[in-house]
Amino acid sequence: MVELNNISYSIKGKHLTNGVSANFEKGMIHLILGPNGAGKSTLIKLISGEHHPNAGSIKIEEQNLQDIPLKTHAKFRAVLSQNLALSFPLSVKEVVMMGRYPHFEGKATTLDDEICVKAMQLFDIHEMQNRNYLSLSGGEKQRVQFARVFAQIWQAVPGKSRLLLLDEPLTFLDIYYQYDLMKKIRDFMVVNADLTIIGVVHDLNIAAKYADTILLMDDAKLVKHGANQEVLTKENIYTVFKVEVENRFEVV
Amino acid sequence: MKNYIYILFPLILMSCGRFSNADEKQNSDERIVCISKQYAEIIYALGAEKDIVAVDLSSTYPEKIKSLPTIGYHRALSAETVLAMKPSLILHDNNIGPEHVVRQIEALKIPIKTFHKYESTIAGTDSLIREMGEYFGKEKQADDLCKKLNRDMELALEEAQKYTEKPKVLIVHFGRATNAYLVMTQKSNAAKMLEWAGGEMAVNAERGMKQLSPEVVAAADPDIILLTDFGYDRLDGGNEIEKLPGISSTKAFKNNHIFRIEEHDLVYLGPRTGENVLLIQQLIHPDETK
Amino acid sequence: MKQNKTKIIGVILLILLIILSVLSAKFGAVKISNQEIWNGFLHLFSGTAPSALNERIFIQIRLPRVIMGVFVGAALAVGGVLMQALFRNPIVEPGLVGTSSGAAFGAALYFVLGATFGLQLGEWILPLAACLGGILSTALVFYLSQSKKNNKTAVISILLTGIAINALFLSGVGFLSYIARDPQARSITFWNLGTLSGAYWEGLYFVISITVLCILLSLRFSKQLNALMLGEQEAKMLGVEIRQLKIKVLLVNVIMVAVATAFVGVIGFVGLIVPHLLRMLNGSDNRFLIWSGAILGALVLTASDLIARLLLAPAELPIGIVTSMIGVPVFIFLLRRTNYFF
Repeated sequence: MVELNNISYSIKGKHLTNGVSANFEKGMIHLILGPNGAGKSTLIKLISGEHHPNAGSIKIEEQNLQDIPLKTHAKFRAVLSQNLALSFPLSVKEVVMMGRYPHFEGKATTLDDEICVKAMQLFDIHEMQNRNYLSLSGGEKQRVQFARVFAQIWQAVPGKSRLLLLDEPLTFLDIYYQYDLMKKIRDFMVVNADLTIIGVVHDLNIAAKYADTILLMDDAKLVKHGANQEVLTKENIYTVFKVEVENRFEVV
Repeated sequence: MKNYIYILFPLILMSCGRFSNADEKQNSDERIVCISKQYAEIIYALGAEKDIVAVDLSSTYPEKIKSLPTIGYHRALSAETVLAMKPSLILHDNNIGPEHVVRQIEALKIPIKTFHKYESTIAGTDSLIREMGEYFGKEKQADDLCKKLNRDMELALEEAQKYTEKPKVLIVHFGRATNAYLVMTQKSNAAKMLEWAGGEMAVNAERGMKQLSPEVVAAADPDIILLTDFGYDRLDGGNEIEKLPGISSTKAFKNNHIFRIEEHDLVYLGPRTGENVLLIQQLIHPDETK
Repeated sequence: MKQNKTKIIGVILLILLIILSVLSAKFGAVKISNQEIWNGFLHLFSGTAPSALNERIFIQIRLPRVIMGVFVGAALAVGGVLMQALFRNPIVEPGLVGTSSGAAFGAALYFVLGATFGLQLGEWILPLAACLGGILSTALVFYLSQSKKNNKTAVISILLTGIAINALFLSGVGFLSYIARDPQARSITFWNLGTLSGAYWEGLYFVISITVLCILLSLRFSKQLNALMLGEQEAKMLGVEIRQLKIKVLLVNVIMVAVATAFVGVIGFVGLIVPHLLRMLNGSDNRFLIWSGAILGALVLTASDLIARLLLAPAELPIGIVTSMIGVPVFIFLLRRTNYFF
């Protein structure tokens, strides 16, 4: 699905990503882990096309990332990024509807409306659809943004596989919603088999529970990429995070 | 004249009263709107003011003209304001604006008249008075006015010979705008009157009026300073003149030779120019006339 | 429910605009009777020249002025909406990013050069000169505020550059009026304060066509501008070509505002307060803001013009003074509110 081939990215001579190669398979949840400053967010930005690598290539389903037109790409690739700066008053519904923008010209169709409603229902924000986004709490805002990116990739696109990139999506959520959301994403993927998710998370427990593959990063380099259990070993975690772990609070 | 804006607002505020003047000539057929202070004074002097229904803000002489409705500042006219006076004739001396409003009025085919443009000299003024006298059917009055004007002028020029000093005079128009002086220069009518009165302008420039910095005023070091009415009155009747930067170091200030003068006595030539020259003469030779 | 609210706001604004326009056409320094207005319209539609003076005043002076107010108000308000959406900042308006001062400079240059060299310049050179000035200054602000590092444009640097460029162009205007001969200097000053009193039919046709065209174009951008509210990168992820969008929106906006400015002079604050008020009423969906902004802008300017004409009647105030007198308190009130609610 997504193929990174020896990509590097640097600003002012400082490497933020250094020679990373990886292959993310279709229909799976791939989570990127690593200490602060390891280059996790940069990697997401490279895959989304926000940054262009200085060296190496990125392929999405055999196609070079630069060759995919922005408008086409937006129909099957959604990104939830860390810092959303919405400073204008908009209703929740309008924010979610933005996810449908790549799919219609002019006015929204009834299909777009339906998808918005479903996405809002999925993330429990349907009751607040007419509220002002600016008046919501951090967690509520985050759920609205989830609904927006899911609305964007709600339906399969013929000939393309969908991709969802999440950059620390759980930051503002309390623990109940963190697990709730991951479960919803999992359930959604059961019926939407072409969807691939690549995300950055901080919580090792979440990663251990929901990831299909895990990519460990440290100091702009890839440390390990592979199946969940193979990567999340005590040894690997110690190498990267310098902490000893044991399984004590696993949520079921 | 970029500074007309500084003049415009105080004028509007000061003149609010004049905007509410009632139109008391509602029923006359001939309705003249006069947009020229020079014409207005001559018309009153001729006794031909019967059909004048409105004037511009700067027409302030004679005193009773201030009871007429006004159509505002002559360079910021609005077509409707003028037309609201239902004019049968608009008199102006080509010093009106803005252009598009003049075009609008012309397009409505309201009769507009401008008298012949004469030189700004006594002879020119003489001709203007006679032309206007003829136009209004007041030839006799025009002749009297011209005779008086010439008599006064002869007297004034004769008097001027007596003075030994030729003082340097600075004429500040409308006080100040942001610490810059709007001073009259040797190109203005005021300069001519000053010359006849036996004085000379302290400041030279290409145009009739100029903004001058306080430094230049101080360097010109005039013997006499004349302030026009509005500016003088605003400076607490002349008591705050030293607050004007640049003034306090001048000879005029040290010798207390700063005087008030009515703007309408100074900025255009008219039937009273001879009288006004005599008046200026007294002002600028304070030591010799006493 | 939301849709209904939008419609109700639209209908109310439209009714108010019609009422105000009628008042504005009816009242002025010259008293014109209903019969004369009716006759004037009859002449207008039959294409004959009205004979009575008041009928001619109505058709040639009053009516173009009222309509000019409507369209210029719409243009300025939509210009404000576009600028605020583009820079993602609610305190931006065409006046702040140099458009107005550039247009003023272009017009001043026209007044002075046209007279100095005795060029026989056509009627259309003034709007063209204003347009070019507006494009030049806005482009300068935009270009200079881009950081070399990563081609990103920070709002704060746009505003600061805007202040600098405004000062530059206004001092240019000051310089031109200083060296200008008397009548041109008067035109420049008069123009800087803004007035609708010079409206005439030919100019009006021009303003109407440009304004309507530009507003229709703006509506096409409304979706992309909405996406831009999330941030440039997020909009890009929603398929918006940021650079293209910026250039297009700026161009539409500059042309619309500069043409309006060319005919009526610099009128401030309409572009600032109108979008603000609408956001407080019904949020900031740009689609709503553009069409309702056009109506409310027209409303505000028509009301300001009515005040300008009636406050000291029969004399007139420059309309720029009225919009500032209304706009500044409203703006300060808005600034002191910490957040938007609707």
